[in-house]
Amino acid sequence: MTPDALKPDADALSPVSLEIFRNALTATAAEMDVTVWRTSRSTVVRELLDYSTAVFDRDGRNVAQAARIPQHLNSMGAGLLTVIEEHLPLDRWEDGDVVITNDPYSGGQHIPDILAFRPVFVNGARVAIVGTLCHHLDMGGMAAGSYSATATEIFQEGLRIPPIKLVRRGAMDENVFAIMTRNVRRPDMLKGDLQAQLASLGVGEANVRALAGRVGAEVFVASCARILDQSEAAMRAMLSRIPDGVYSFEDWLDDDGITPDPIRIHAEVTIAGDRATVDLSGSSPQARGPVNATLASSLSGVTFAMLAVSDVDIPANAGCMRPVTVVAPEGLVVSARSPAPVANRIACTHRVATTILGALSRAIPDRVPAAYYGVSYVMTFQTIGLDGARGVLVEIEVGGSGAHHDVDGLSGYTYGMHNNSNIPVEMIESEMPLTIMAYGLSPGSGGAGRRRGGLGLFREWRVDSPEAIFSANAERFRFRPYGLEGGEPGREGRLTLIRDGERTALGSKVNNLPLRRGDVIRLETSGGGGFGPLADRAPEAAARDAALGYV
Amino acid sequence: MTEPHIRIGVDIGGTFTDLQILNEATGALASFKTPTTPDPSEGLVTGVREAAARFGFDLAAVRLIVHGTTIATNAVLQRRLARGVLLTTAGFEDVLEIGRHGRRDIYGLKPHQEPPLIPRDRRLGLPERMRADGSVETPLTGAAVAEALDRLAALGAEAVAVCLLNAHVNAAHETALAEALARARPDLPVSVSSAISPEIREYERCSTTALNALLMPTVGGYLERLGGRMAEAGLSARLLLVQSNGGVCTAALAKAQPARLLLSGPSGGALATLRTAKALGRENVIGVDMGGTSYDVCVVAGGRLTSVTQGEIDGLPVRLPMVEIRTIGSGGGSIARVDEAGRLRVGPESAGSQPGPVCYGRGGERPTVTDANVALARLDPGFFLGGAMALDRAGAAAAISRDVGAPLGLAPEAAAEGMLAVTEARLAAAARLSLFEKGLDPREFALLSFGGAGGLHATSVAEALGVREVVFPADASTFSAFGILYSDITHDLARSRVTPADEAALPWLAETLAELRAQGEALLADDGVPEADRRAAVSVDMRYRGQAFELVTPWEVDLPDAAALARLLDGFHELHRLRFSYSDPDAATEIVAVRLNAIGALRTATEAGRSAGGEGTPPGVREIWLGGGWRPAAVHRREALTAAVDGPALVEEEYTTCLVGEGWRCAPGPAGAMIVTRTAP
Repeated sequence: MTPDALKPDADALSPVSLEIFRNALTATAAEMDVTVWRTSRSTVVRELLDYSTAVFDRDGRNVAQAARIPQHLNSMGAGLLTVIEEHLPLDRWEDGDVVITNDPYSGGQHIPDILAFRPVFVNGARVAIVGTLCHHLDMGGMAAGSYSATATEIFQEGLRIPPIKLVRRGAMDENVFAIMTRNVRRPDMLKGDLQAQLASLGVGEANVRALAGRVGAEVFVASCARILDQSEAAMRAMLSRIPDGVYSFEDWLDDDGITPDPIRIHAEVTIAGDRATVDLSGSSPQARGPVNATLASSLSGVTFAMLAVSDVDIPANAGCMRPVTVVAPEGLVVSARSPAPVANRIACTHRVATTILGALSRAIPDRVPAAYYGVSYVMTFQTIGLDGARGVLVEIEVGGSGAHHDVDGLSGYTYGMHNNSNIPVEMIESEMPLTIMAYGLSPGSGGAGRRRGGLGLFREWRVDSPEAIFSANAERFRFRPYGLEGGEPGREGRLTLIRDGERTALGSKVNNLPLRRGDVIRLETSGGGGFGPLADRAPEAAARDAALGYV
Repeated sequence: MTEPHIRIGVDIGGTFTDLQILNEATGALASFKTPTTPDPSEGLVTGVREAAARFGFDLAAVRLIVHGTTIATNAVLQRRLARGVLLTTAGFEDVLEIGRHGRRDIYGLKPHQEPPLIPRDRRLGLPERMRADGSVETPLTGAAVAEALDRLAALGAEAVAVCLLNAHVNAAHETALAEALARARPDLPVSVSSAISPEIREYERCSTTALNALLMPTVGGYLERLGGRMAEAGLSARLLLVQSNGGVCTAALAKAQPARLLLSGPSGGALATLRTAKALGRENVIGVDMGGTSYDVCVVAGGRLTSVTQGEIDGLPVRLPMVEIRTIGSGGGSIARVDEAGRLRVGPESAGSQPGPVCYGRGGERPTVTDANVALARLDPGFFLGGAMALDRAGAAAAISRDVGAPLGLAPEAAAEGMLAVTEARLAAAARLSLFEKGLDPREFALLSFGGAGGLHATSVAEALGVREVVFPADASTFSAFGILYSDITHDLARSRVTPADEAALPWLAETLAELRAQGEALLADDGVPEADRRAAVSVDMRYRGQAFELVTPWEVDLPDAAALARLLDGFHELHRLRFSYSDPDAATEIVAVRLNAIGALRTATEAGRSAGGEGTPPGVREIWLGGGWRPAAVHRREALTAAVDGPALVEEEYTTCLVGEGWRCAPGPAGAMIVTRTAP
């Protein structure tokens, strides 16, 4: 950002200028991020921080991102390219336009996520595109939050917005806006959060335009290209250090919430020199229930896995995936075809990530851990008071991470595709007629091995209102997080209803279960897989586990 | 003999112990530096002794020593902590280990995680439970307490933390436990959550309480050694410690609540920034402190230091009010390297002070920011630390050529300048984000630069920010000690309870405020602050119903009545609008906590001025590398600077060098500061 160093005549594409340019773009994504946080309205965006911001080059390739949620960040680029290639070619993007979509089949992920993009023009030439993705509180459909566990087609999941211009040369299309707000449960929240997205795009546009003004449009474009090239080169170098070969792996989803059939995710990863091919063709056909992912969503699982196994720090951008080919014919659970439901697509992308990691563990056992819990445990309580007053609590819990060859896994640690916080017990109890009876680590849940998997958690909610309604979206109740090299898998998750002292096992997907005062719901999450045979565990580590009550 | 009239501010850094000495009778101010010793109390007393000899005052004349310390911080960073036991609610023994989830390195598969502060086998659950409304669900029985004490006895505890669920609403069970502990084990330091941090959110409160307990033996021991050394030296001065909130406290409070000292060190710099902003009549100032390993940014906006109600040390939350400081790992010791993708990266890895930069000649082999400054002749190899330490310029240049120039195909000078440009871009981004997230515009701010390494980068950073005024305060290298001189005694008190912000809350508010005021008065009385010098400031943590974070809203209040409540609500809506761009006066609002700052002003004479330095040295000229070429720059000794100079120029003093960039003019200003203004558009 030192002006002198950015002047085109001062060797504008030197490594020094490029590093400063990269810093400025990353700072732009960070300031866009702060803008969403500062101006958004709903708890989902502001407190669960379920949003992401990024900068793209003039052709829509991701160049810089703010550190937020891997699931979002790595599908925004694919989403934008779908928008451009299949719906709104770039020659129709004008200065002051904002293009939005939430349609999973036109570049989106699931209906609550609205992607918004704005082109940046300097002297009439497009130099970049800035983008934000926000998970909106509600986009209509059969379930509050547009997150039904039992939808069987996308039309039940909420209002679909194809790629359109919400803002045309600076003027909001009020008709579109009116249709949107009429179809959602909390129009005030949608309006507030959408305005936050627009404000963030405004900040990004101004920053990029100022930067391009300083370095010149040509240097700007060339610098973006160089940044992508650098990440590509780093990725190629990383891939070359992985032994050539074909590495296959499979992992499973329990079910789709509608039928009891397990769902297979299969990856065949071919490493050849400095290139990789990830073939997901062996995965199950798309499911009836909403655990499907579009290919754009699945790509973020692939990207996460490929970046995560790197032995060096590679700046995440579109260049990283150039040497990686992804194969998945349409119509699989990882590449769902319209109108398959996709609300819980993160169930699938967690598993895409664990499957690819599993495959690569055979090539680079020193870098890849055993499986993490691999599921966003979404628990929803709606309490109903005597006067009908409603309270809603949405909790997302986590489990244990997998062991590496040289260290144990981490217990109760947010890992992989998502990145979120828990909610303080005292906060819940001060706001809702619920009492948390216990919250702790589940001894014995970590997969045994030379290195032990991290422990899963348990949490118990007691209903203190006359009535309540409970829903759950979970996984890993049947298929445990795998161990590696002889390590045991982590323990499966469990959900239990305790009523009048009697315990009833529940499935991993629960839709609108009625509860009454005194009922307790107990969740136990999966631990991570172990690494290496238990017989090889160091006696002092075993003794410590016993002393600390981890096993 | 006259009344004791010497007041000393002490800031202990990794390398030097800095002192600022104020003669309250004459207003004369002097600064002094002495090496930091392994037990910092030794260096402190030595420094006071040497300063007394050099400036000719009697040790008996020292009235007050105000001490900023990193003793607590370092104990946490190095995990040199006591063996602790946690007593908590049964069923929640693991809260301290689970934390809040959330991670920063989003692509990492192997995150580093420190073991919990207190391991699982020393976390004891007691059968008891408070509800969120303060009523008792499960009473704590005497038998349960007795059993816990029995188990405790077998664990070899050196300190005990007590944190029970909902104790911020009803502390009866915690108090009962604390009393039982005091009877049974009077030898054991005990920290109770409702005393150190009576605020909602069990993990943050538990982490704060545990840290506090584990620090008690360390900090207590240090203060005892310091007291002993002071007594030996014949120093009977009163000792006050700088807290993270920018106020000071007595040694007794510091022993009981050492977690309040965790940001003691950087607070000094923030206080000095505030003091200087006031002296210069500036409302808006960004204070940046660049040392060997880090760059700390604080903000004075509208004449007040921005602060937060929770901070973090080494990933551990500390739920106590503190001055808001953003830190990034960029300093003079930051190491440059070229990665395999051909990227030039500088920091966060640092050479520290051991082995230090290559130019120190102490075995450092990898090029640092300081090496780049030496290679480009911006630092004078013959005048480092006033000439006390010769720098190896050739060695610095060679390391830069090898590790940066050769891999990038750049000449040594271009490589060195590139290292500095990359560093300055990072510094500017950090400063910009500190303002941006509060909705503040950098162009309305002045940049105040201090710390040994900051002066060489300040005008470049200012340019990148769009800031047109840079301030180099007097004695930049002992600036924190200067800030410490002028701090006031401050007690932060709080009561937490989630309650609708309507008139039904008034009785609770009245009762709570009366309690807090009485507690504040009692504490200030214990501190020996005369009634006339006591002040109180009230604020309330507020939010819209459904939000999970709060805004600290200042509240001018005497007796809480309907009118006062209306003022509070107005203030909250306005603050919300400023910070988040909207407000919703019709929405339901909630109170989460009530805070009272009890402040005891420490009277002092205003300073008369600084002792002038040595003889005026005529300015010299040195060829420095700037903007892609060697060019002559005027070199001034700071104490000889009496008129404005245009950049490029260097202003050198014993412990630091300031670079006045091209398009900037530097002139002597009030309070011994140099004011550098942008002359180019």
